[in-house]
Amino acid sequence: MINPPFDSVSNPTMDTSAGAPVLVVEDERDLAEEIRLELQASGHPVQLSETVDEGLRAARSGPAVLVIDRMLQGQDGLSIIEALRAEGNATPALVISALSSVDDRITGLKAGGDDYLVKPFDIRELSARVEALLRRRGDARLTRLQVGLLEMDLVERTVQCEGKPVDLLPREFTLLEYFMRRPGQVVTRAMLLEDVWNFKFMAQTNVVDVQIGNLRRKLDPAGARRFVVNIRAVGFKLNADQ
Amino acid sequence: MRISEVFKAQPFRLALAFAVAVSVATTAAFAFIYLQVSSAEFQRVGAMLVEEAAASQGDTEAELRRGFELPLTRDIRRLDFAALIDVEGRVAFGKAASIPSIPVDGKAHFFPDQLARTEDGAREPAVFVARRLTEGGTLVLGRNLREVYILQETLLRTLAIALLPTALLILLIGAIIARRASHRFERVHGAIVRIMNGELDSRLPVSNKDGDIDRVAHAVNLMLDEIARLLEQLKSAGDTIAHDLRTPLAVARAKIERALNNETGIEQLREAMEAALAQIEKASVTISAILRISAVENGARETRFRDFDLAAICEQVFDFYEPLAESKGVMMIADTAKPVPVRGDQDLMREALSNLIDNAIKFTPAGGSVRIGARMTEGRPFVLVSDTGVGVPPQERAKIFDRFYRGERSGQTPGHGLGLSIAETIANLHGFKLTVEDNNPGARFELRATSSAPAVRLAREPA
Repeated sequence: MINPPFDSVSNPTMDTSAGAPVLVVEDERDLAEEIRLELQASGHPVQLSETVDEGLRAARSGPAVLVIDRMLQGQDGLSIIEALRAEGNATPALVISALSSVDDRITGLKAGGDDYLVKPFDIRELSARVEALLRRRGDARLTRLQVGLLEMDLVERTVQCEGKPVDLLPREFTLLEYFMRRPGQVVTRAMLLEDVWNFKFMAQTNVVDVQIGNLRRKLDPAGARRFVVNIRAVGFKLNADQ
Repeated sequence: MRISEVFKAQPFRLALAFAVAVSVATTAAFAFIYLQVSSAEFQRVGAMLVEEAAASQGDTEAELRRGFELPLTRDIRRLDFAALIDVEGRVAFGKAASIPSIPVDGKAHFFPDQLARTEDGAREPAVFVARRLTEGGTLVLGRNLREVYILQETLLRTLAIALLPTALLILLIGAIIARRASHRFERVHGAIVRIMNGELDSRLPVSNKDGDIDRVAHAVNLMLDEIARLLEQLKSAGDTIAHDLRTPLAVARAKIERALNNETGIEQLREAMEAALAQIEKASVTISAILRISAVENGARETRFRDFDLAAICEQVFDFYEPLAESKGVMMIADTAKPVPVRGDQDLMREALSNLIDNAIKFTPAGGSVRIGARMTEGRPFVLVSDTGVGVPPQERAKIFDRFYRGERSGQTPGHGLGLSIAETIANLHGFKLTVEDNNPGARFELRATSSAPAVRLAREPA
């Protein structure tokens, strides 16, 4: 399944991650090929490795982000991350695995993985998470955020749009903060569930869409602007241009 | 079972070993009796002779001659031999050739072949006593031990004859027991072979006697019942999975095929692809839910359990779902009394509650309400999720937690029939019981801690 590049959305202005090389360590050739095509379509050169040894060598040559399968021909891909971390190498890593028990996720993150994705996954979910890892440079100590016409005061917990205050419920504020820390970045429903609501599973109904809809209406009651746009079948993005 | 197999059977080998052991013990007992009896007889004969010699010590030669000239065989003392050697060393009377060389000490001395039998001259075992007389001569008395030996032989023969039938009897009883036991084992074995060959309805034979084998057979039968039930459940789950996956895949396939066959424009092709993709997504969601159940079952270990406030989790989930309910025109009411301390996995509990609330909102029409309650009742955590929706008819209440079960009233409401299964699995992991009641109207799900729920560590404040 090859998906067209994200439709109808212009490239974000603050994109510093374009062209960053990605190392994919995956021994299932078909899946590796799909990942390569998807990431290349987003503009990243991709290097593929199939074994732990090969992957570790390639990882030392300086890719911007790692995508590592846990099960590699009888070896645990986590050993690559552990070896890198022991060497002081902090390259962000996304762990993918068919192991889906609750503990495996914890094990993966404890070993130094930065994100964890369970098979079967949507290839665009993986792409969105790789982008998220590439851009994880936001400063947590900021007290004010500004994206286009939106301004957020993290101390006073107030939001202004074009200088006019917007009245948000606490849950809406948290949701907007998450977007404002990732301007122009694709955010999937699963990422929102995990990071904003602490839900480590997929909710059945379209709760996320309803929450986003509420936020949209409050930011732009007239419906003239598109602050938060839908990325079809993937998730959402805060439009930095507006 | 063939006869040769009887001998190989474990019970028969046990009977054989038992027979050998009994035979050895009996032989030992018989040997002891034999030795005791024969030695006592030797002692008795010897002692009699010694006594006789002692009694004759003071007698004169004439007295002795008179006494011993009486026919010896008729003598109650049954002396077979008597001789007197005078002071000068001459044999005063008695057969000189038969006198053995023994010390003159008045004690009994046994000789294996000293005394000749009168009739044929064969030598036989005998006992002799020699004693110095008061007068100065030496008296030698002897007795044939033939009778003692005959007694010994008789005893030996009797014991040997008695031993054989005893051993045979034990072997026979052993063989009978072995045969009966083998017969039962054979029947059990036959039943197991039938079950292995696929006759899962077969059961092990159980007699009405409450023996060891019966107890084992009964337990195995109960186990088989459980396996059959699980297999049946697995089979129907498998059928449902196949159906649930095949339907969206068939739809997706039909859409793609139709689009390919009709030469349509790029826009129509695109639409068809998107519709097909949505169907594949549906199948994918079902697979994820199936995997989720096994993940929950395999992954939740008590090592990850922490203390937390279940009421706070309820409020979070409430907060998360409220906009959805609002958009459907369903009112949500929270009724929590903090804290409700629970020990467990917060993430999983949040998932269970979400599934219940998601479900409640889904089946409640606009204008209805969903209530979430959390409190302690009788010292135990209690959570309630009730709605005013379609409800669950009594005959479906036991089934709605089964995997893939979708109630008659679900109709076109989307869902994969696994949400409540996941919720129940999580509840069980935490020692909670999930039940459904009538809410008049609507359904009322209750989540109650049972006695097997892990105890909250009182030292720490709930998170």
